[in-house]
Amino acid sequence: MKLMILDKSALAPMVNALRADYRVVGPQARGPQFAFDVITDPAQLRLDYNTTILPPKKVLQPQYERLLSFNRREYQVTPIIEATPTVLVGVHTCDLHAFLLLDQAFSREYPDAHYLERRRQTVIISLECLEPCDEYSFCRSMGTLTSDTGYDLHLTDLGTAYAVHVATETGRQILSRYATVREATEADVRQLNEVLSAKWPRFTYRLDFDAAELPALLGAAYDHPLWEELGERCLACGSCTNVCPTCYCFNVFDEVDMQLVAGERWRCWDSCQLDEFARVAGGENFRKARSARQRHRFMRKGKYLYEKFGELGCVGCGRCIRACVAKISILEGFNAIHQSA
Amino acid sequence: MTSNGKPKVAFFDFACCEGCQLTVVDSLQTHLDLLEAVEIVQFREAISDRGEDYQIAFIEGSCTRQADEERLRKIRAQASVVVALGACAHTACVNALKNLHPLEDVRRWVYGDQAEWYDTYEARPISAVIEVDAIIPGCPIDREEFIRVVKALLLGKKPPLPDYPVCVECKLKENVCMFHIGKFCMGPVTRAGCGAICPTYGDGCEGCRGFIPAPNENAMKDVLADAGLTVEAIMARFTMFNTYLVSARKADGEERR
Repeated sequence: MKLMILDKSALAPMVNALRADYRVVGPQARGPQFAFDVITDPAQLRLDYNTTILPPKKVLQPQYERLLSFNRREYQVTPIIEATPTVLVGVHTCDLHAFLLLDQAFSREYPDAHYLERRRQTVIISLECLEPCDEYSFCRSMGTLTSDTGYDLHLTDLGTAYAVHVATETGRQILSRYATVREATEADVRQLNEVLSAKWPRFTYRLDFDAAELPALLGAAYDHPLWEELGERCLACGSCTNVCPTCYCFNVFDEVDMQLVAGERWRCWDSCQLDEFARVAGGENFRKARSARQRHRFMRKGKYLYEKFGELGCVGCGRCIRACVAKISILEGFNAIHQSA
Repeated sequence: MTSNGKPKVAFFDFACCEGCQLTVVDSLQTHLDLLEAVEIVQFREAISDRGEDYQIAFIEGSCTRQADEERLRKIRAQASVVVALGACAHTACVNALKNLHPLEDVRRWVYGDQAEWYDTYEARPISAVIEVDAIIPGCPIDREEFIRVVKALLLGKKPPLPDYPVCVECKLKENVCMFHIGKFCMGPVTRAGCGAICPTYGDGCEGCRGFIPAPNENAMKDVLADAGLTVEAIMARFTMFNTYLVSARKADGEERR
């Protein structure tokens, strides 16, 4: 599809124009860090952000979400689908790859009406990464430092303007209705190619081996001593999975009114790292040890999801390493397993 | 039950500041429907009646004297459901700080030359004396959690009690981690349910809701030491709200060895 040029001065007017018809969500400052949130003023949008505390996954799968309302007296159940036409701006390519995995998780076997409707109503404007987020990102190793799919529009910073790759008909319409752009010249294309080829050497934090080896490597590491070591250090706080862009587990609970007649069914994010996650009826807990739960996380990211969806469950965003107060690093873990193999 | 089918509820207090009962009174302002669902027969902080035919007893405060035990047992004998209301009843809270010192000294600090007039012993949660059916942790309690527990009791369900740490609620709120801005936080070992209220307003968790069922105490100490706390400062954080639990865990560990 076409390459267009959006002058940086045209970004704020575009965001304002979009706000008339869409909820616009993008990265904003949160203290010294960043978070995706609803943009109420274009000045809030920080496309120069490094990474966000939570991934933009929360736009498609909110932390807390109503599923249905019920009335016990009338035996009535009404589905609740909470979706708003949304333009999600500034998604990095690691998070784009994560969306592709979530799409599979929520559409195969048991299509999830709540997720899929939000997905349908979300326009994605992604952003090419030219610098690593920080010392923890290893997207390059995970093959997520670029993406040719998963977005409607894709921006690359060319200094005073953005190169805009128009990937879908929705993207084309968004540009024509809400933005002032011009077609890219040969000089623009040359500059874009230069910017894109210059970025790769900057991404140095990486796996010691080819990520394609991960499933087989982990397959032979079920009894690796690393798990015990991680179990000693892990606080089982669930932060690693809560900040993970590909984790999608949830818990379901009911809220009733004081008359105990009507209520709502909710779901919220859950974590395999928590003590009670694997407790089943009868009281048995089949992943009682923290070591077993850390192993499960590594296996999910490097093996199980690959076997299920054909994509690795880790996109190398580094959020789990950043969030872990006990300094557990999935990258160092993968490398340690590789070294001892 | 009363003739109108509402369960009768009573509130009691032991060693505490009564802040949790105040939170209950406060929660009635936003949940007036609570008064339609139950009948309060005894609540010193809010009404002058003293009905003794209650089914649900909410007990605030720690047991700090031999004489408290008899009163607790009397309440237990009457109530079909006993709820520990707040940290003092649940974990002995800051009352148990005195357990770290000789009780003779403690009495003298507080009562001076009249120390002999007042009986005292090591502060303990009410569960050390009587069986407790439900817990509402916190200093003070979270009013929404109070409402949730009442609803669960009315439904005949086991009241929900989060068994995961504060970090979960803190992350879901997308707060900046206290450890990322040079502050200290007990969130990784502290029971959630408060909505991570302290980190949300920029202060590290002090642990007022007690520990999660299986806290990784050693790892937490390593994290605090890495963040720059001395051994004394780490112990101070562990014992501020949780002296009783720390002592109990230690005794338990020593027994196992």
